[in-house]
Amino acid sequence: MFYLQNNATSLHRNLLILAVFSLFLILGIRLYQLQIVDYNRFAGIAESNRIRVVTQPAPRGIIYDRNGQIIVDNKSQYNVNLIPFEVAKNDSAFSLLSDILNIPESEIQRRVKKNWRGNFLPLRIAEDIDFETLSELEERRLELPGVMYSLEPIRSFPRQAHLSHVLGYLREIDKDDLQMIKNYGYRPGDLVGWKGVEREYESILRGKRGFDYVQVNVHGQEVGKVQDRHSVETQFGNDLYLTIDIGLQAYAEQLLENKKGVAIVMDAKTGEILTTVSKPDYSPGLFSGIVESNVWNELLNDTERPLFDRAIQGTYPPGSTYKIVAVLASLEENILAPEATVRCRGVYKLGRRDFKCWKEGGHGRMNLFDAIVNSCNVYFYTLVRKMDVNLWARYGKKFRFGELTKVDLYGESQGVLPDEPFLDKKYGKGGWSEGNKLNLVIGQGDLLVTPLQMVRFTGALATHGKLVTPHVGLQYMEHGTSRFHPLSFSSADSIQSISASSWEFVEKAMYDVINSSTGTGRAAKVRGLDVYGKTGTAQNPHGEAHSWFIGYSKEGGRTLAVTVLIEQGGSGGGEAAVTARKIFSYCHKNLPVETGEKEVAVR
Amino acid sequence: MKKTIQIGSSISTSNFLIVFTVFLLCMAGLMALYSASLHVEASFFKKVIGKQLLWMILGIIVMFAVFLLQKKILFDGAYIFYWIGIALIVLPYFFGSSAAGTNRWFVLGPFHFQPSEFMKILVIITVARYLSGSDLIISDFKSLIVPLLLALLPMGIVLKQPDLGTSIIYFMLVFPMLIWAGARMYHLFIILAPIISIITAFNFYSFFIWVLLLIVIFYFSKERIWVAVILFVFNLSLGFLTPVLWNRLKPYQQNRIMTLFNVNVDPQGSGYQVIQSQVAIGSGGLFGKGIGNGTQTHLKFLPEQHNDFIFSVVGEEYGFVGVIVVLLLFFMLISLLISVAYRLRDRFSSLVVIGVTSVLFFHVFINIAMTVGLLPVTGLPLPFLSYGGSFIISCFIMIGLIFNISLERRR
Repeated sequence: MFYLQNNATSLHRNLLILAVFSLFLILGIRLYQLQIVDYNRFAGIAESNRIRVVTQPAPRGIIYDRNGQIIVDNKSQYNVNLIPFEVAKNDSAFSLLSDILNIPESEIQRRVKKNWRGNFLPLRIAEDIDFETLSELEERRLELPGVMYSLEPIRSFPRQAHLSHVLGYLREIDKDDLQMIKNYGYRPGDLVGWKGVEREYESILRGKRGFDYVQVNVHGQEVGKVQDRHSVETQFGNDLYLTIDIGLQAYAEQLLENKKGVAIVMDAKTGEILTTVSKPDYSPGLFSGIVESNVWNELLNDTERPLFDRAIQGTYPPGSTYKIVAVLASLEENILAPEATVRCRGVYKLGRRDFKCWKEGGHGRMNLFDAIVNSCNVYFYTLVRKMDVNLWARYGKKFRFGELTKVDLYGESQGVLPDEPFLDKKYGKGGWSEGNKLNLVIGQGDLLVTPLQMVRFTGALATHGKLVTPHVGLQYMEHGTSRFHPLSFSSADSIQSISASSWEFVEKAMYDVINSSTGTGRAAKVRGLDVYGKTGTAQNPHGEAHSWFIGYSKEGGRTLAVTVLIEQGGSGGGEAAVTARKIFSYCHKNLPVETGEKEVAVR
Repeated sequence: MKKTIQIGSSISTSNFLIVFTVFLLCMAGLMALYSASLHVEASFFKKVIGKQLLWMILGIIVMFAVFLLQKKILFDGAYIFYWIGIALIVLPYFFGSSAAGTNRWFVLGPFHFQPSEFMKILVIITVARYLSGSDLIISDFKSLIVPLLLALLPMGIVLKQPDLGTSIIYFMLVFPMLIWAGARMYHLFIILAPIISIITAFNFYSFFIWVLLLIVIFYFSKERIWVAVILFVFNLSLGFLTPVLWNRLKPYQQNRIMTLFNVNVDPQGSGYQVIQSQVAIGSGGLFGKGIGNGTQTHLKFLPEQHNDFIFSVVGEEYGFVGVIVVLLLFFMLISLLISVAYRLRDRFSSLVVIGVTSVLFFHVFINIAMTVGLLPVTGLPLPFLSYGGSFIISCFIMIGLIFNISLERRR
């Protein structure tokens, strides 16, 4: 035999079984003691052993403008919550609740189902109840075990200005945002910044909810604080300061009232956005708490698209404002000598196609300078014929057209800057012609820009090549320590490859656009202020042309870049330039030129 | 020949009963897990109950694989397997992920293996192999040294992870095997005596009684007088030195040892878990609160309710009746296994079965004793009921091993 004999005896077997039996018997006796003898005691402990975690929602940080004016504040609202397990035992609870809250029973049932997180966890059934309802609820509290109300902070907007797209809005987290719940400690039903700075600076603005552990008995009545768990203090969110000047913002919004369009004012040296308006917009008050679905749907289905931020999401052909790019290319690459002239007869013939200048009958002889001031198309048609499309595109790329500006707002578009590969791809090799180039040079055709890209471009012209990162966030104040922390953005790049003389040439021409008697931007002239600009009239296949104005003012140490776009506003020298003038004039009169360090008023 | 068939058939009857008992225990576990995962928002197989079911299915597959293994391979390769196992439990120190500050896990793709679970089986096989050596004289004290070393090596490694529960199991499983192989009780007593001396030394009266017991036992032992005196003095001085040494330890060192004996103590306060567990079981009463109605379970008072405290869920929701049924099932399983071990003809197989039985028994006893507050919290799961992949699979491997060994026909 291969193996040794098993020499265990029946004594061994019985001994082990006996040992096991006795040890199990000890367990059995202990269980008898716990479950039968001491049942009443333990049942009592378990009954009163119901800790209810009372959440103290944390107010989000307050949002201020650059001067310390409150833009977004918090206010409180009362919400009603219930615990399913405890309400289920009470048959009349729903009908009673329906009476008090004035909500149909079926709707309450629906909300219970929608917000259910667990049989023992509170869920929300009503929001923002008034004081009368609240006192009635309080009176009948004993009839409604498991129903309670909570005080929760919501957003309030004390100012006239909407600033809707910049502020963005909050959204309720639902069960589908599990990733977020898991990674950042949100809970279903929490509000989270979903658009605008509320989204961008969520981590700064968001507070940390506190917990109180309250021991309650089976009837939902509090029996005291829990001994061995400490409550967690609510942490307020940090206060955020924006670069926005709320007075200018309100003024600019008023200028664009009942129009469709954009106005942006940016500090050309720092990229701080003082104002950005996109009309039509909506009242941010609609989003103070949890948005009701009918309001939401109305906004979504509005054909005017009020939720759409035209300033950063809208892409438009820039029209003649974009001619500056070709000017710089010509000067730098010596395509056409600045003093060389082209005769404009109002039309440029390319094969059998006629490319028109905006001025019927033509401008006559134009050199480069005159062509900018008068915005003569024919000059630029002639110019671009001598240029490779890639060369033209290269100068657009220097200003980062076709790229995101990395503004601290969510959902930015990047626009389109066509070059040869792009055109080849779109039309096929040889499928496009010189005609495309002619359209591109006057800012038409496939070229698409966002107003924000244009204001950065304007800023670069004003600062002779400084490409800033536009931003609306300025700094935040840490709650608790009250220390200010500046927000940082990628530092400005400067365009090295364009010579000072070219920048100066363009600047002089842009000055004459405003100040010469034939300049297209005469309407933007402000007495006592140096304004430089360029108009644009972008053809719009859907109706009247979009009216563009880009320009900047220099006053003391401050350089403000302004971009105005009025959709279907006609000629850029008209409505857009007038709006820009009012903005420049407002800034000139109302915004003190800052000298030295910025000071921010603390409330 | 006739007798062999008879043995075979009676073993296959008990095998059927073993399968049936294991099945019932698994069902009890799934019912408790169902309740514990009732309020978890996830798809079925993302919940612990679904995952546990998958682990059980995997366990059954592995069980069949083990069933196909040849006993000769286990016997001949015992020591090789043992050293591979040792290598595997050392590995997590180098490559393991330290979940919750411990070094138990060994990550392989989506699987987290706890090789220390499987090491139990290897210790059983190796000790059984050693005790089945043909030149072994079991009544000699020296024969006990190797089996103890075989257990102490992995025990030391796992103790450092730190996993007190598992390391205790390595040590404990050896004793029933030694008894089974015919070791003298007196020898086992000598081995265990120093440990008892240290433990009792913390309390004067317990130590006093222990010393009296030592005197009586040494007096009646047929030990040579000087050996008996040396052993007695050794134990006595160990007992006296322990409090002195303990007090000379720095508080953090004491703390480290204390945490070793209380691995899962909640930061909320010592004994919190055990108190809540007792409240859960006690408030279950005779018939329990019914499935899904355990307030201790669902209000999350009960700690580790999927793993180490699953028995408390049973106690709360099914009451005294429920826990007695579970206890009886375990008693039945263990008695069946002991009987199988008794009926087996060769010592190796018999010892393997006893080793497996010991592991299962100590798990059951220590776990339940912990949930009812009779033993400190050591973090040992309850076989077939607790959630946990490596553990459930190692349980099924052990059952597969028993079937394999008890149905062996080459004799």
